[in-house]
Amino acid sequence: MTKMLRGAVVAAALASFVPFVGAQAEVTELKIMAPAAPGGGWDQTARSMQQALQADKLVSNVQVLNVPGAGGTIGLAQFVNASKGDPHALIVGGYVMVGAIITNKSPVTLSQVTPIARLTGEFEAIAVPANSPLKSMADLVAALKADPSKVSWAGGSAGGTDHIAAGLILKAIGGDPKKLNYIAFSGGGESLASILGGKVTAGISSLSEYDAQAKAGKLRILGVSSAKRLPEAPDVPTFKESGVDVEIQNWRMVAAAPGITPEQKKELSEVVEKMAKSKAWTDMLKQKGWADTYLAGEAFDKQLAADIAATTTVLKEIGLAQ
Amino acid sequence: MSDPTPATSGSKPDKARFVIALALAVLAAVIGCEAWRLAAIPSYTAVGPAAFPTLIAIGLGLLAIANAVEAMKGVEEERPRDEVRPIVWVLAGLVGQIVLLPFAGFSIATGWLFAATAKGFGRGPVWAHFLAGAALCFVIYVIFAKGLQLSLPAGPLERLI
Amino acid sequence: MDTFGALAQGLMVALQPMNLVFAFFGVMLGTAVGVLPGIGPALTVALLLPITFKLDPAGSLIMFAGIYYGGMYGGSTASILLNTPGESSSIVTALEGNKMARAGRGGPALATAAIGSFVAGTIATIGLALIAPTVVDIAISFGPEDYFALMILAFTTVSAAFGSSVTRGLTSLFIGLSLGLVGIDLQSGQARVSFGVPDLLDGVEVTTLAVALFAIGETLSVAAAGSRAEEVIEPVRGSVFMNKEDWKRSWWPWIRGTFLGFPIGAMPAGGAEIPTFLSYALEKRLCKKPDEFGNGAIEGVAGPEAANNAAAAGVLVPLLTLGLPTSATAAIMLAGFQQYGMNPGPLLFATNPDLVWGLIASLFIANVMLLILNLPLVGMWVRLLAIPRPWLYGGILVFATLGTLGANPSLVELGMLLIFGLLGYVLRRYDYPIAPVVVGLILGPLAEQQLRRALAISVGDPVVLFQSPIALTLYALAALALFGPLLFYLITGRKAPVGGDED
Repeated sequence: MTKMLRGAVVAAALASFVPFVGAQAEVTELKIMAPAAPGGGWDQTARSMQQALQADKLVSNVQVLNVPGAGGTIGLAQFVNASKGDPHALIVGGYVMVGAIITNKSPVTLSQVTPIARLTGEFEAIAVPANSPLKSMADLVAALKADPSKVSWAGGSAGGTDHIAAGLILKAIGGDPKKLNYIAFSGGGESLASILGGKVTAGISSLSEYDAQAKAGKLRILGVSSAKRLPEAPDVPTFKESGVDVEIQNWRMVAAAPGITPEQKKELSEVVEKMAKSKAWTDMLKQKGWADTYLAGEAFDKQLAADIAATTTVLKEIGLAQ
Repeated sequence: MSDPTPATSGSKPDKARFVIALALAVLAAVIGCEAWRLAAIPSYTAVGPAAFPTLIAIGLGLLAIANAVEAMKGVEEERPRDEVRPIVWVLAGLVGQIVLLPFAGFSIATGWLFAATAKGFGRGPVWAHFLAGAALCFVIYVIFAKGLQLSLPAGPLERLI
Repeated sequence: MDTFGALAQGLMVALQPMNLVFAFFGVMLGTAVGVLPGIGPALTVALLLPITFKLDPAGSLIMFAGIYYGGMYGGSTASILLNTPGESSSIVTALEGNKMARAGRGGPALATAAIGSFVAGTIATIGLALIAPTVVDIAISFGPEDYFALMILAFTTVSAAFGSSVTRGLTSLFIGLSLGLVGIDLQSGQARVSFGVPDLLDGVEVTTLAVALFAIGETLSVAAAGSRAEEVIEPVRGSVFMNKEDWKRSWWPWIRGTFLGFPIGAMPAGGAEIPTFLSYALEKRLCKKPDEFGNGAIEGVAGPEAANNAAAAGVLVPLLTLGLPTSATAAIMLAGFQQYGMNPGPLLFATNPDLVWGLIASLFIANVMLLILNLPLVGMWVRLLAIPRPWLYGGILVFATLGTLGANPSLVELGMLLIFGLLGYVLRRYDYPIAPVVVGLILGPLAEQQLRRALAISVGDPVVLFQSPIALTLYALAALALFGPLLFYLITGRKAPVGGDED
């Protein structure tokens, strides 16, 4: 009932902005859904896209619509139901959505939208207080092997990227992910304070959360989840270098509506690619400190499928999904 | 007298508070069931997601009993009779807004809310208040859309801009 | 130490004519959004970030400071006049403030809120400039077990301060605690009391509940009273401004509120709501005329208002000294810093002193500007209450739903507004206090999460709860709040000066 009503809101809204256009027409207008409240990461991505698209006159009329709630799954459900076949509708999403779909038992999944491209991403990092006895990833691994429950991890909400990454690490070194002693915090500031105050053994979150503290000598970063060392922290080894086979990226992507024609998909992909290569967009990424991890086409589809499979497995092993 | 609570002296049990006690008992049962369901899900943490719901359900159960006992003591003081008609108007305004919002848009739906509330407080005619309310809300819509770039639900009126 | 030199330098930056214009624009915008429930400074700054990027860093940070403080003023104005708390930190203000407004004392209520906010904001900003590094060390040393003790203190003091009947007060509190369970449990990721409705997974929004219980519940009960209620509320009875007695009664609550708000606001998990609760409870206890509480006691406006403004400055302590964003607004301001290539964190004071001091200076400016703008407007604001009731209440409902829709255009959210509004009406009708419901919703989840964090870190050992000296001190205070009056009676044989003695 409510879903129908909500669907109707969007349908009505879309009807106004989307006159029926043939498949061959240029993309003149776009409606980007940010499945989050204004101000959050996905909203900022959507609004940055809006700016970049309009700055370079790629698309003259771009609207952003916020539908917050439940890790993006409410917006996703509304998008799938109301935008079917609409070549002017886009949705911003991210890796967090993959986990949220599984843990919230969402009736719609990412397989129901048409992924266009991965735009940006952040890598996870593990940090300990400067006075911690753990000096390297190897020390942490040793502590985990001795007794995983004695190692407390601070990170974001349960089932989020941080939790998944911690679970993957414990699994990779042969531990039981169920014994992961993960302490969830609702805000970055609060979890960072608990690490700085030495209340927890280690923290796991995106590198940008810890970077400034590490540069000031208050935190030590043990490793990052990227494939290669990162330019922001060239001295920090990757997990793989330290013998922990975990690679994870908290990415953000853009997807189109379900049921659009291959031509329409191609057109939207071209627009997004042009945007991702534009100066306006790259400037914006630099300004916000977001890494350019653009990936499109089949390569992205493959990566997405792999991420979904790995996440499903680890969430089951942590005990968050059945 | 359509009042559900007879406003008589202290000897009669207070029916309204019995109803509240019953509602609390139902709430306790609902949360108790949730706690029971959550307790069945294996979790490694020392205090799981079921602990607090259990405590709250117990607390609600005790409060249901306490409220029932106080209800037995009777009505403490006379409650003045409430008028039903104005409440119905205000509720009609709020429900109407929810129903109208998806297709009529923010201005019309909220204009109706304004008119119905004014009517509930004894001021008509509804249509004049509706027009004034809708016009006001349209201005608010424009300010939000242009000034803050926030999209409130749009309808036929909002699509004109 | 060249703190004062740096501050003077900052003031020079903030006092440039163009920056004053930005500050003015900021405080006006902040007040406007602060008035709307659901839409607050965080959301506004977030939406303005892309626009302000074209401005110079100093100008836009000054504007953000104006929005930040302006939001606090706007929130309390709406609480006092319309009983519609614009921000969660001004919920307590509505309790006494709206009662005052209805008794024709809206002028003094607004004035004590504005001046109290100014006094608290100024003291707290000085604190921010001078002792931030010391305060932050203490704040960081708070662990989950200490926060849990703080919640226990808040529960005991607050429950002692609400309502005359224990059964009714606890009933309201437990309704709030039940609502606090709704949504995904942060620690385990399990959905609780959500019945498979995706819109409930994020829980019940505090402002939605507060606005529904206060504004909509009240609209319903006034409507129900029909001809019993007066047609027009008299907006001014006596002086529009504060009289001598008002000043005398406001002064100490301002100071006490400031000293509750600033340190708790500086704690990473402190927030601005808890100090307002504590301040309200404290003022009720210390007030010479406790009977007035619940009927419009000026102390109940002065204290909490000072507390929430001091907390707003306190939040900037971890932000500026450590780069820790501990509130939504702080997180957005951090994004603002980053936009200008500043490295937020412990080095900010060293690498960008001009901007940090410029920001601190602009907080002063915003505060002064808000006071100058708000005091003359008090007379105009209270005239709002002279609007005939049909239009006043129609407007209040438009307002309440607008705020909710702006933040989250969801019909489920509007449905909750309606249901909680009815709950508010029923509670009022049968003499159950309203405030404990909101207190339960705010404190319940905090207490639960902190307790579970503490026990998870200690791997289930409950001894951890009673090991830290901070926690023990807080428990002692809680015990004092609970048994203090009894002890006083036992020792002196006299009833404690709490329950209404003659002065």
